[in-house]
Amino acid sequence: MEERKFTSEMVDDYADKLLIGLTREENQMVLDEFDVIDAQIDIINEIPNIADVPPMTHCLDDFTYELREDEEEESISIDDALANCDDYAGDEIKVPKVVG
Amino acid sequence: MTYMDKGLVEIHEALKSGKVTSQELISESLKKSKEVQEKCNAFVTILEDAKETPVTEDILSGIPYGIKDNYSTKGILSTGSSNTLKDYVPFFTATAISNLESHGAVAVNKTVMDEFGMGGTGTTGHTGIVKNPWDQTRMCAGSSAGSAAAVAAGVYPYATGSDTGDSIRKPAAYCGIVGYKPTYGMISRYGLFPFASSLDHCGVLARSVEDAAIVVDGMKGIDKNDMTSWDSSNMHLYDSLTKDIKGKKVCTIKEIADISMYPNASSELKEHLENFHNTLKHFQDLGVEVEEVSVDQTLLNALASVYVVISCAEATSNMSNLTGIIFGPRSDADNYIDMMKNYRTTGFSPLIKRRFVIGSYVLQAQNKDRYFHNAQRVRRLLVDRWKEIFKNYDAVILPVGSGPAKKFDEDKDMLDHNTQVLEEHLQVGNFGGFPSITIPDGFVSGLPVGINITGNCYDDINVLNIAYALESTMPYKNQIVKEEH
Repeated sequence: MEERKFTSEMVDDYADKLLIGLTREENQMVLDEFDVIDAQIDIINEIPNIADVPPMTHCLDDFTYELREDEEEESISIDDALANCDDYAGDEIKVPKVVG
Repeated sequence: MTYMDKGLVEIHEALKSGKVTSQELISESLKKSKEVQEKCNAFVTILEDAKETPVTEDILSGIPYGIKDNYSTKGILSTGSSNTLKDYVPFFTATAISNLESHGAVAVNKTVMDEFGMGGTGTTGHTGIVKNPWDQTRMCAGSSAGSAAAVAAGVYPYATGSDTGDSIRKPAAYCGIVGYKPTYGMISRYGLFPFASSLDHCGVLARSVEDAAIVVDGMKGIDKNDMTSWDSSNMHLYDSLTKDIKGKKVCTIKEIADISMYPNASSELKEHLENFHNTLKHFQDLGVEVEEVSVDQTLLNALASVYVVISCAEATSNMSNLTGIIFGPRSDADNYIDMMKNYRTTGFSPLIKRRFVIGSYVLQAQNKDRYFHNAQRVRRLLVDRWKEIFKNYDAVILPVGSGPAKKFDEDKDMLDHNTQVLEEHLQVGNFGGFPSITIPDGFVSGLPVGINITGNCYDDINVLNIAYALESTMPYKNQIVKEEH
């Protein structure tokens, strides 16, 4: 069997960077898909002059961004901001101690 | 007499003439919602206290509809079908929904979807799988699964959807209805939970081209809160509908739609493509020329990976605010890192964890050019090729998927070589922001299949007219699930 370019340790490392834990099965699923994607990226690299094509980042190439007027607006109320928070005290969100 | 199985104009006329009231329509829709919930599990929330609205000259006024659960709705649970937002109640409403409200539309439920829109099966929502109303052993496709099931079952004439790869247009095909995503930015995305921002489109699932046009007229408009939205006030989709498309020229793509491309085709795939080519013949009666063009197979073969790489990369970036601290169910831990990790690890389903990890990998500095930038380069080559086609043709016409709705045990949301291009080609419509509509195209193995019409950016009226004329040659307008299937 061909040696795998991707390892389960790599997959766990990338998941860990996102603060996501993976089960063995989940890790295997990512690993399998990496192989499929990698094979297809190999094909992409064979497209002549691919490196000269400017990457397309948005749908609409003709789009012009216009800055809107700098108008003062009401921001959301504290009550709204806290409405979906499970743990707060007064007007502030409670978090575990960060600084020693 | 029932009304929720009728088209919008007919319902509007009944309201205007006093044959029915908005409240009676709401009651009918809520009753039907409960039946469909029982059979198909299509809803996250049923809004029992939905209130009638005054009937005006506006066609949408007083008429019930459904909202996909990734649209923020003020004071109403909006979960995106994710455990990570299972108790989230927004304090503002998405612009597209506010626009519908201002037309007098009445929301009666929030529909189940694949978690955050990141799936194509309708099986990954936190409230369970959505079953296809035509055959409950089959999926609706996704991610707008609940919206498609509900519209097909006659809960109401339309529901909102969102489409990042084909999330409106494939469920529409599997459920035998119409799914339309207009040109990127025609409808504001403000308040839509983001998946992949450069590919995300708002749109609608309905039962006729006419209804789809009426609804998108009601949803669209430039929005200061979405800098990618644009002014379409001079485009009146419904008023522009005409069945006269004589002289137009459309094409299909050999590498996607020709049966000779699939030497090991199943009988179902053969039947599906044969059915598609038979429908193309209808264009002759409409005075429309149909030709076949070719697209480089290498580009097509790369399509699905281009989508996975770009969408996962953008999704990874968009999920950074999901911490479980400011909103979402907070996890118990004595430091914030473990708190977030517990929240994400237990909250996300395996399929979207996969997307995020792939996204993280392709965005690493050492991988970015090989994966992310190359995917964006092929995105441009594909879009350029389609734009070249649009110089000579009014629209590209293609079959949706490789056949009718798949069985749950065929559930596969991973890249697969066999019919991959046929399954995934609608993603080009997202790469280029093209207006794209799926309409019903009859039956294969007793189940509905769809045909897709895609045109150039800002050419929505043209695309709708081609769909409108083609729809008129077939008996599937306002199609409702037939119980005998």
